[in-house]
Amino acid sequence: MSALDLSLREQAAQIAAGELDAGELLDACLARIEERNPDLNAVIATFPDRSREMLDRAPDGPLRGVPVLIKDEWPLPWRAETVGAASVPGVTLEPGESGPYRALREAGAVIAGVANMHELGSSSTGNTSLYGAAHNPWDLERCPGGSSSGPGAAVAGGLVSGAVGADGLGSIRYPAAYCGLTGLKPTFGRSAMEVHHIANTETIVSGPLCRDAADCRLLASALFGEELPEGQRSGLRIGVIKDPFWSDSAPGIREACESALEALRAEVDGEVVQVDLPDLDMILPAALLVAQAEEAAHLIPQVLNGLSPELGLINRGLLKLRAILPLSLTARALRVRAKVRRDVAALFEEIDLLAWPTVPAIAPSLTEPTIELPSGFESADAGNARQGVIANLTGIPGVSVPVGLDEGMPVALQLLGAWGADALLLDAAEALERATDRKFVELRPAAVA
Amino acid sequence: MEGESAFQGYLHRALETFGIETTEEERAVMTGVWSLYEPGMELLRDADLSSVEPEPYPDLSKPPR
Repeated sequence: MSALDLSLREQAAQIAAGELDAGELLDACLARIEERNPDLNAVIATFPDRSREMLDRAPDGPLRGVPVLIKDEWPLPWRAETVGAASVPGVTLEPGESGPYRALREAGAVIAGVANMHELGSSSTGNTSLYGAAHNPWDLERCPGGSSSGPGAAVAGGLVSGAVGADGLGSIRYPAAYCGLTGLKPTFGRSAMEVHHIANTETIVSGPLCRDAADCRLLASALFGEELPEGQRSGLRIGVIKDPFWSDSAPGIREACESALEALRAEVDGEVVQVDLPDLDMILPAALLVAQAEEAAHLIPQVLNGLSPELGLINRGLLKLRAILPLSLTARALRVRAKVRRDVAALFEEIDLLAWPTVPAIAPSLTEPTIELPSGFESADAGNARQGVIANLTGIPGVSVPVGLDEGMPVALQLLGAWGADALLLDAAEALERATDRKFVELRPAAVA
Repeated sequence: MEGESAFQGYLHRALETFGIETTEEERAVMTGVWSLYEPGMELLRDADLSSVEPEPYPDLSKPPR
């Protein structure tokens, strides 16, 4: 087995112990990107000299010498981000020292390349990018998930053992689910975000996509700038809102997640309780409006009338639509956010975790990203967003954990916790791994097994 | 315009008022996206939020005060 197939923490430990040469690991990583990326299109830029320079200067941190990827959503000192697009309307992007770059450098990690993403981060599918779509290693014709498509495809494809993504409306958790990875959406504000092109964001966070929860803990600790302690949890109260999160998920998804939930409950000697949250139907439109308003200051006619023809048609239409949505709707969305945050806070007085499928169906095809749910055919974006955006609207953390296969494609359970419960979520994810003998985090796509 | 939906009427007027240029394809996308958004936006528009207190200076990293 190549050292590249070790976990992030094994790579770090072996380098620290002098058992693994970090230079050789980086060379192997770059060679594997050369070998596999033509199929995956997960990586859009490598810079071997810069990577070797990072390695030469790597401090003795917890990730010293370990190669990772970073989503095309942050600048590096030698490369401006492109956000998967020909241009970001109204924004000048420049090289710089972004928060995630600084956090990775200070932890001793080596950035081996930049990972692909859905154009402007505007979809949960990852099927559109200036660089072409990234491909799901489990089935190259299917979506890898978005908008952190490249991080998901790269880690599942074995190019690296960890990658940094961003989650503004579920964009770490969807690719984690589609690609069979563990992905953490941290509590808002805990992970490094400096120099993001949406400086005023209240929804977007950086976070890790890795093969399992322990690696997510290691990478998240670097992004947080503080260690996320490991703990044994027992007696957890796990809340379940059946409708629509469970009832309107595809049967194969629901069954695998129900089995996982029962396994987790037994492992932590916990309790599953049915709970309610009011105004569920308003969470998605409120989240969309709040997130879109963060970028709306640039959507003036001079900018919109000069959009790059290389920008995808969907995004051109979306941007122009956002410019004419009534202000009253956004104001009402903020009022709904206030209510949902209070309701969620009250709910977490009664429970420790909320659980439902991360996505309601397996990864759809790249060419036609629609899904079939008990309620009918739906765009993957609509179905996914329904499951994911509550974490971004309210600021709470969430983790996606692989829990099975349906039609040969990964299935994932999402766990949500109260503000600051990031370590608890990772503890619960690890408990779920133990309860299932780690068989789902050890699964590899046939193409890379 | 005959046969024009309420949204399409709003779309034409808003684009003209704000001076936003669009292609036919872009307008088709806008109409399609709005058809997905519309049920949720109507819920937001019609909801009785009169008793909901705003959250001043929200800190999204913490529960509401």
